[in-house]
Amino acid sequence: MATTDPSSAAARRQLANMALFLGPATVLLFMFFIAPVVVDVFVAFTDMGRSLEVTEFTTANFERMLTNDSRIGPTMAVTFTYVLLTLGIFNVTFGLLLALATTAVPERSGAFFRAIWLLPRMSPSVVYALLWAWMIGPTDRGLINQVAVGWLGLEPIDVLSNQPMLLIVLANGFIGASMGMIIFTSAIRAIPEHLFHAARVDGAGPLAVTWHITLPALRWPLSFITVYQTLSLLVSFEYIWLITNGGPFYDTMVFALYVYKRAFENGQYAYGAALSLILVAIGIAASLFMWRLLDMQRLLQTPRIEVQ
Amino acid sequence: MSATLPSLQRARPASGRGQADWDALARAGSRRRAIGQGLLMAFLVTVSVPILLPYFWMFTISVSARTGGVESAVLWRSIGILVPAVLALGFLNLLTEPGIRRLYAAAGIVVVAGTTLAWAIGPDLHLQNWAFLRDPNFVENLSGRGAGTVEAQFPSVWTAFGNSLMLAGVQTFLVLSVATLAGYYLSRFDFQGRASFLQALLVLHAFPAMTLIIPIFLLMHWTGLLDTITGVILVIATLELPFAVFIMKGFFDAVPWDIEMQALVDGASRRRAFLEVVFPQVKVGLLAVGVFSFIRGWEEYVFVRTLLFDKQNWTMSLYIFWVSDDIMGVDYGVVAAVGVFYVAPSILLYVFCQKYLVQMSLGGIKG
Amino acid sequence: MTTAKLFFGALTGIAVFAASAVLAPATVSAEEVTLQLWSRADRSGPLRAGNIVAAADQLNRMLEATGSETRVAIEVFENNADGFDADALDLFKAFAVDRGPDIYVLAHEWIGAFVEEDLAFRLDEHIEANPELYDDIIDTLWASVAYKGGRYGIPQDSEIRMFFYDKEMLRQIGKDEAFIEGLPAMVESGEFTIYDMTDLAKEVVDGGAAEYGIVHRPNVGPDFQMLMKSFGIDQYDADEGKLQISETQLAAFFEWLKYSVDAGVIPANMTAWSWDEVHASFRTDKTAFIKFHGIWNVPAQLETRGLTDDTYFDAIGWTHSPAAEEGGEPANLSHPIIYAVSAKSEHPELAAYIVGLASQNYLNTEHAVTTGHTPINHGQAAMPRFIEEGWALRAGAPMLEYASFMPNHAMIGQYNAIVFTGIEAVETGRLEPKDAAAFVVEELQAELGDELIVLD
Repeated sequence: MATTDPSSAAARRQLANMALFLGPATVLLFMFFIAPVVVDVFVAFTDMGRSLEVTEFTTANFERMLTNDSRIGPTMAVTFTYVLLTLGIFNVTFGLLLALATTAVPERSGAFFRAIWLLPRMSPSVVYALLWAWMIGPTDRGLINQVAVGWLGLEPIDVLSNQPMLLIVLANGFIGASMGMIIFTSAIRAIPEHLFHAARVDGAGPLAVTWHITLPALRWPLSFITVYQTLSLLVSFEYIWLITNGGPFYDTMVFALYVYKRAFENGQYAYGAALSLILVAIGIAASLFMWRLLDMQRLLQTPRIEVQ
Repeated sequence: MSATLPSLQRARPASGRGQADWDALARAGSRRRAIGQGLLMAFLVTVSVPILLPYFWMFTISVSARTGGVESAVLWRSIGILVPAVLALGFLNLLTEPGIRRLYAAAGIVVVAGTTLAWAIGPDLHLQNWAFLRDPNFVENLSGRGAGTVEAQFPSVWTAFGNSLMLAGVQTFLVLSVATLAGYYLSRFDFQGRASFLQALLVLHAFPAMTLIIPIFLLMHWTGLLDTITGVILVIATLELPFAVFIMKGFFDAVPWDIEMQALVDGASRRRAFLEVVFPQVKVGLLAVGVFSFIRGWEEYVFVRTLLFDKQNWTMSLYIFWVSDDIMGVDYGVVAAVGVFYVAPSILLYVFCQKYLVQMSLGGIKG
Repeated sequence: MTTAKLFFGALTGIAVFAASAVLAPATVSAEEVTLQLWSRADRSGPLRAGNIVAAADQLNRMLEATGSETRVAIEVFENNADGFDADALDLFKAFAVDRGPDIYVLAHEWIGAFVEEDLAFRLDEHIEANPELYDDIIDTLWASVAYKGGRYGIPQDSEIRMFFYDKEMLRQIGKDEAFIEGLPAMVESGEFTIYDMTDLAKEVVDGGAAEYGIVHRPNVGPDFQMLMKSFGIDQYDADEGKLQISETQLAAFFEWLKYSVDAGVIPANMTAWSWDEVHASFRTDKTAFIKFHGIWNVPAQLETRGLTDDTYFDAIGWTHSPAAEEGGEPANLSHPIIYAVSAKSEHPELAAYIVGLASQNYLNTEHAVTTGHTPINHGQAAMPRFIEEGWALRAGAPMLEYASFMPNHAMIGQYNAIVFTGIEAVETGRLEPKDAAAFVVEELQAELGDELIVLD
């Protein structure tokens, strides 16, 4: 029978340790992840406007959301189009292509090209957007038009006015492709060499090798990237805000940007909070889905020692 | 490996005797490979040029633009000289043997390219666009503008630089310390609720924080942290925590238990064991998380735009945004110079710490 | 070892304590009152803020003469917004997070919104108590600071807006002097309609003398309300005190926009241009025939085209916004800027006096003459400086006959913003004029609710 003294001392030390090691993280995460969700729900039921004052509780925001806002439908449509195109063309497909290409050439060149493709993700967003704005300039000062008009003899292209969706897909795609590229590359590099040798000896051409060996090994990274990037694309708006600001009229106004503008530019904070709840709900649903998708066992790897 | 080699047998030339012409096959094979590699390289070069070109363009504008507009003459001239030079060096590398003659040839190419470049664009280069580094009132001195404001229109760029440095630096330090502590504990201790904590972290990791910008703004206002760099530091550090904790946990998981056990057996306390034995082993992880975190803090835009107001609190991202905003008339040469100034630390950090960043993304999913 | 630590710790503590005692500020005998000023960073109006600073200097000189130690300091915050509407929204946000100023520069039509949020100090008492400061202000300007029977601001300036047309280009395509010089009169009499203006611009563009026919501002602003006035759109129902809109008239306005875009006169991406490009397009080496802007642009035009007051009207002419139909009336809009004092200020009376000092003849003329705005006091027209340098303002004064102000309704900011999205939709071709008008009316109803009367 253990005396209470040593075990409670141990219990206190355990709590002290837990507070020291996990405390800061828990506090911060609570303050900036959990608390904001609660605040968001609270504010969504108020009438908070430009003055940031709450004078009454009301469900008017939700009524407006469901019956009186004709912008929600179109912005949702724009968001889905944008997400599908960017994900399909760049984040997954092009990322895969880059991974395959850079692993098929000698390692030093491959690493060099991967480094180049990671550059947009590493450079500050304002500068990246600025470079895009200069490239697409509709007069012959824009870089794209210098090539199009000067070398190819075409008419000046004004992609911002005529193809704004293409513009944001390209701009975000260049950034998005890099993450897939890195993850697919590491997965490919993890495939044992002898499989490739065996396949080649058995007469497989490069395409067959890719199809039968490389791609199956990428099944898990592919699903991870698809789900993860879908979620982050659904709620991202930084580059769109900087480059097209919602596009000519509402052409590239994705839902997240629409919510931001409603709150911070029009001063309708309560309505913005109500709209944000849609995004929060999507976020929670998708995160839970991802949790199911991942291999929890690996993550929960049993720790080395028992608690004291 | 018993060898039936059907493809080689099929390729046997019809010279009847059953003897494969190995040399011809080898040559054909290496030719095919060379073509394949060449195509791949061509593809990679083609898609990578649009990425690099604009950065180089920004640099040339910053050192040559005079009219205040976006100019490209210097860019095309330098491209016209540099591309053949690089190609020449590339071919030299591929087609010749290493040796003193190759070195001379390479040096020769570099000298020729250098002098042609100097002749072609030298006279156009100037540093007037960089005046913002020493003169906060540089807007007034831009040709034909004059003062449009009572006080300087922008704060000194060094103020913004200092703010960015503080934001990125302190935030990195915070992330590293908190994530290391949490990661270690999660890796080594088993406690009630550990599984739930990890699951919660996973959900938070995937959860998009940008959706919470409105309530975060309100929370900052209610706690008095609005318009302070401290507030922004706390927000950004927290948003990176789930990711960072998983990375650090992964690195801790990889440290052999024996080393730590040994220290404990030798009489060190838990905390000393941590500091002196385990810590040095995960330095790589710390570097990876640190660099990633710093770059992220350096580029932060949405939160600083929403949460900061006073001009003395501007970070570099806000500084370049307002300098490039055109209400008072933009001078693109200056904007390019500010852009180069702003981007340089990110690029330098990235170039020198690349392999750590690549490791970073791996750790992210493997936990 | 621990005692050594304790010793050094104590020493440090004593040192810190001593230092703070020495360095603590002694009670200052002089009293300084700091007022905060919010203004928009605007190259065509730096003295809006500058005059307040000058007024504070003047007050300080007077205080010095009395032997008092009190001084007034002005902290200036110049906001980088791309227009007065965006600036007003930023100002709201600043007030909401307790960073509001004591004095602010405001576009007049926003005063209603600020009064409703309890952010504007009522100035009637102050104005009546100080006729020495305010009696000479042009009467019609007081309407621009009035809201629900009270005066909440002091007018700071006003202006005239016009279509600037390039006479050289008309000569190039072969128009005779009589036509060129007679154009303003034809517009004023209602003979020359806004469609005729588009056709004329098309002639100029097709004749190769210009690349663009008409360029206008790329963001929200009063210019569009002036165009709407040409189409008979009256934003305000004075009896009800509510805003109003007519869908048919709005559609007619949008029809003209579409007509102009289709004719190649207004560029389709006009609303995506930058201010820089708009200004750059109206230089002689650049290529716009008509620029729809305001009189404060004249100093910039003088500089970029190398003109003087003698040669200006040889090169450029001014007209109102022409009537939509023949026989109608042309439209002009005046858009005064005002000073307002915050109701949350700790020194509202002092702030009001500073504003009053800044509104006197000398300071206001400095602003008016250097930036091309019209004066607020009758007496300014008699000043030698004004007579010498204010030739443009005098030339434009007759145009004020057709000028009116926008209503000071609390929700007019949102009204104008929504109309602008409709303009954007029509010019970029995203919506047909009728659909755009329906869209605008729908949005207006959603945002303004009861405060909007829909006429048809």
